[in-house]
Amino acid sequence: MSQSRLVTRRRALFAGAGAIAAPLVITTPGFGQTGPIKLGGLVSLTGSGSPFGPNSRVAHQAVVDQVNAAGGLLGRKIEYGAEDDQTNAEAGIRGARKMIDVDKVQAIMSVWASAVGTAVLPLCWENKVMLLGISAADSLADLPHQGYFVRTQPHTVLQAKQFARFILANNAKSAYLIMPQTPFTESVFKTIREDVEPKGVKITSAIIDNKKTSFRSEIDEMTRANPEIFMMGGYLAENIVMAKDLFRANYKGKVMGFAYGVTPAFIDGAGKEAAEGIYSIADPSPAFDSSAYTKLKTLVKRDVLDTFICQAYDHANLAILSMAKGKDATGTGIRDNIRKISNNESGTVVDNALDGLKLIAEGKEIKYSGASGPCKFADNGNIIEVAFRTAQVKDGKLAELKI
Amino acid sequence: MLEKTLQLALNGLMAGAVLAVPAIGLTMVYAVLRFVNFSVAAHMAVGAFAGYMLNAWLGVPAWMAIFGAFAGAAAAGIASDHVGLRPLRGQSALTLAIASIAVNIMIESAIRFFFGGSPRDYAIQLRRDWVIGAFKIGPQQVENVIIALVAMAMLFVFLMMTTTGKAMRAVADNPVLADSKGINPDAIARLAVGIGMGLAGVGGMLVGLDTSIDPLVGFRAILSVFAAAVVGGLGSIPGAVVGGLAIGLAEELSLLALPATYKSVIGFLAIALILTLRPQGLLGSRVT
Repeated sequence: MSQSRLVTRRRALFAGAGAIAAPLVITTPGFGQTGPIKLGGLVSLTGSGSPFGPNSRVAHQAVVDQVNAAGGLLGRKIEYGAEDDQTNAEAGIRGARKMIDVDKVQAIMSVWASAVGTAVLPLCWENKVMLLGISAADSLADLPHQGYFVRTQPHTVLQAKQFARFILANNAKSAYLIMPQTPFTESVFKTIREDVEPKGVKITSAIIDNKKTSFRSEIDEMTRANPEIFMMGGYLAENIVMAKDLFRANYKGKVMGFAYGVTPAFIDGAGKEAAEGIYSIADPSPAFDSSAYTKLKTLVKRDVLDTFICQAYDHANLAILSMAKGKDATGTGIRDNIRKISNNESGTVVDNALDGLKLIAEGKEIKYSGASGPCKFADNGNIIEVAFRTAQVKDGKLAELKI
Repeated sequence: MLEKTLQLALNGLMAGAVLAVPAIGLTMVYAVLRFVNFSVAAHMAVGAFAGYMLNAWLGVPAWMAIFGAFAGAAAAGIASDHVGLRPLRGQSALTLAIASIAVNIMIESAIRFFFGGSPRDYAIQLRRDWVIGAFKIGPQQVENVIIALVAMAMLFVFLMMTTTGKAMRAVADNPVLADSKGINPDAIARLAVGIGMGLAGVGGMLVGLDTSIDPLVGFRAILSVFAAAVVGGLGSIPGAVVGGLAIGLAEELSLLALPATYKSVIGFLAIALILTLRPQGLLGSRVT
């Protein structure tokens, strides 16, 4: 009895000493510079972003596997893990916390929904973890992220301007905008109003509750106003419901939606009849003619790639090359070096991590140019140089248009 | 303004009739087992997907696939209750309600595992609304209401005119007395869960026929379904019908005064009001 108590005390002392020492060990500079380098993907495997999240995971893993097969990064293996943010902020925070606190990732990649990005970004900068995102809400770049944020998706003001251009290009005199509540809804409405109202276009807008199963009355209200153009600004699930209601209501005006909500999955869900003629606006075009796009097609064995898988591919390449450039496999290393490999116009252009790593090892300067575009970033993290495309559903398929 | 109000009321009644079906399921399980089984949401999805498989994959007409939705959700309900909730019988109603949320998440995740998260559509013809004077009404809406009414009528006949139905009502009214009369409470509980979740499955498919389905089709409706059951009086089947219609009407008519983004508030508001002013609900007879 007495011995077991002694052992218990001894164990308790060791445990106590360990607990006291742990923070010192963890915060000692250099800790974490051995063993595998951890990268994380916070992707939407479920919810509105689920058509895209699994692709992001595939692209991340493919890049990591490629680099590991060639000997790894800075002599270390890269370990990749993904968490499902369920396209909602609460699950996103849980996923990010797990990746930061338990997995000790140095970068979180390809966060899709703006609500998730907004919730997760403070965790990243507080823990010196780099966030390479897709989330488009303008407010993200305005947060005090200390540089731990870049995104490859054009922010929503740029996207809203594409809708305004579409309205003006069609000489419409009235447009009705419906969007669910998101971190960028107000800025989209404001940008469209500012761009088109001075030119005599009457804008009506409404925010819907996307947690409801039907939007029939909201669509009835819109059809009563009889606008020339209707902006169906929801994600996939809401757009499917709204498109069916538009068909039932026999709405004759033009219908436009965000590219992420008017996809092949949208056409499948709404049905060809309901989807026919709907425009997909503000689609950041992948760099179809780029060598990175061709390489990614081969890497993931697909013939056609959407912008999000291209962006995810670029995120993984950018994170790896930034670490290599700075010889620093941390989130801060990515932050401090990402523009040295992405904005460096005098560097040798590379389209994948393997080629970039070889050139960096030879002491050469590089410029990463990706599958989603040139991948140049402003100081606030926003992407510079974006090509948009517009498409329309024709015979059950999205056909690109020149406007 | 009058025209708009009447159109909203019409939409509300249509939506409310569909909402009433899973609300009856929820209230029925409550009447016999005395806890709120939130896994009704997942069983709505089970029914929606069971009907989808029959309709979209096997070509069964939608109205016939409704029976499959009922059977699929009923079987899943009995199984999930047996595995996840029955071992906790005797615990507090709160414990069981929380456990039912866990069951709900597991079932929704299982659906997502097999079917993915993308929305799916039934193999039915999309039809234009009928325009009657100043009003519009969807043929699918009308069919959904008819199916909902038939389901309710069949349940009414079962409860009022069959021995098993009467036994179920007896257990709901006084479980101790029913037990003393030799009614097997376990069998009745299993039957109540089966019928209740089967009705939830029918409700899930009806929602899906008008919109689309995904693993969260029931989750999006559960607040309104719960509000309908509470407003009508938990445990009261006629109450669930009245509650469903009341919530459907209130949600749509709220658009006259509130922006559409606040539609979900109506459910919470209805629950808060009814619990404050008449805790037993509109047609409930007791507070438990």
